[in-house]
Amino acid sequence: MTVTGGRALVVDDSAVNRLILVRLLETLGLTVVQAENGVQALEILAAEPGEVDVVLLDVLMPELDGYETLAAMKAEDATRHIPVLIVSGVEELDSVVRCIELGATDYLPKPINASILAARINASLAAKRLHDVEVALNRTIQRQKEELSRFLSPQIAALVSSPDGEQLLAGHRREITVAFCDLRGFTAFAERADPEELMTLLSQYHRMMGEAITEHGGTLEHFAGDGVMVFFNDPIHQEDHVERAVRMAVAMREEFADLAAGWRQRGYELGFGVGIAVGYATLGRIGFDGRHDYGAIGNVTILASRLSSKATAGQILLSPRAQTMLAEVVESEPVGELMLKGLTQPVLASNVVGMR
Amino acid sequence: MMAATGGDLGFVRELVETYLADTPVQLEAMAAAVEADDAAALVRPAHTVKSSSASLGAMRLSMRARELEAAGRSGELGPADRAGLEAARSEWVAAADAINAWLDRASAR
Repeated sequence: MTVTGGRALVVDDSAVNRLILVRLLETLGLTVVQAENGVQALEILAAEPGEVDVVLLDVLMPELDGYETLAAMKAEDATRHIPVLIVSGVEELDSVVRCIELGATDYLPKPINASILAARINASLAAKRLHDVEVALNRTIQRQKEELSRFLSPQIAALVSSPDGEQLLAGHRREITVAFCDLRGFTAFAERADPEELMTLLSQYHRMMGEAITEHGGTLEHFAGDGVMVFFNDPIHQEDHVERAVRMAVAMREEFADLAAGWRQRGYELGFGVGIAVGYATLGRIGFDGRHDYGAIGNVTILASRLSSKATAGQILLSPRAQTMLAEVVESEPVGELMLKGLTQPVLASNVVGMR
Repeated sequence: MMAATGGDLGFVRELVETYLADTPVQLEAMAAAVEADDAAALVRPAHTVKSSSASLGAMRLSMRARELEAAGRSGELGPADRAGLEAARSEWVAAADAINAWLDRASAR
């Protein structure tokens, strides 16, 4: 008899039977609540959600009998998992079978034998504890997922918890479009502005950027002050990844014009520049034990970043390949050959005028 | 029962007193059901008397109650069931006398 602790609900209309059961259960170390019929039992279960570990249920009762009580318990998420022991005379095996079909855990023959009671209670409490552990675990996983989706891009949070997440995180190669965005005049502004003003402005800017990224299905790789890197076609496949990147940049440029007008009135002159490139990259978990990011590594990210730093206020600079791929949908103008830091050959870049 | 409850006299006293108070109520309900020829209404009180009497060792009363429960379930009551109810009442008087005698002895100890 190893029962230690736990809370039992005894449901029986006979005062004598209740008294015997309560006494035996208390001897086993359980605390006991009592009900005279199914209606009272369901009221107790509703009033103490999660408190009752096992129910001992008589079949024949007024108001609401054992079958109806059992069915009502099994219909509710909050009570479905609580083990139910049917207390029944041996000559009523038919009703026991029906109760087990309705979801009862086991039955206790009357008159009650203390050793059988202890064995059944032990088994039921063990099952209930296992269930409780599982529920707590699921709750933790759910909470982690929610937290994760707050810190990471929604796509990456979903990837981490998906079945093929491990494989994708381990690293894969794919063609992506990378858009690098940052602000002209930000460093000078950061020197002059109050920290509060700086944070207000950055949060307006980030909110606008975040909305545009989400709307176009981009994967945010990182925010770094005024710099934002977004890529497309990973982890979710997007046929039109180049076009999506350009549409996003154009939408951002338009939104930015409104923000910049407000800031200008407060004496801050800020401009918005973007660099966009297409190419293959290795994507996956990048970092060291204790701190990893989901990142993209390849010439394409370097090219986008360098184009972004060459862009003047209001420019969206495309790599030659991006420009060629989108010639039919994007109107652009060549800006000449640019010498980019770290690249040996000059790059013929074009600025996006608008969508056709 | 004494063994199963650790020989706690206070508890056994409470138990038999509950039984002594509750059983007449159930017998009344059984009599009313037989009187009204309401077989369905006989089942539950007869069931209760059957099981509580068995728990306390009043086996003859338990057997009578069991027969009446079965009669109630059959849906039809006859003269035999009226006789069965009378027999149950006699068994109850005998059981109550025995329990009271036991209580007196236990108190005198």
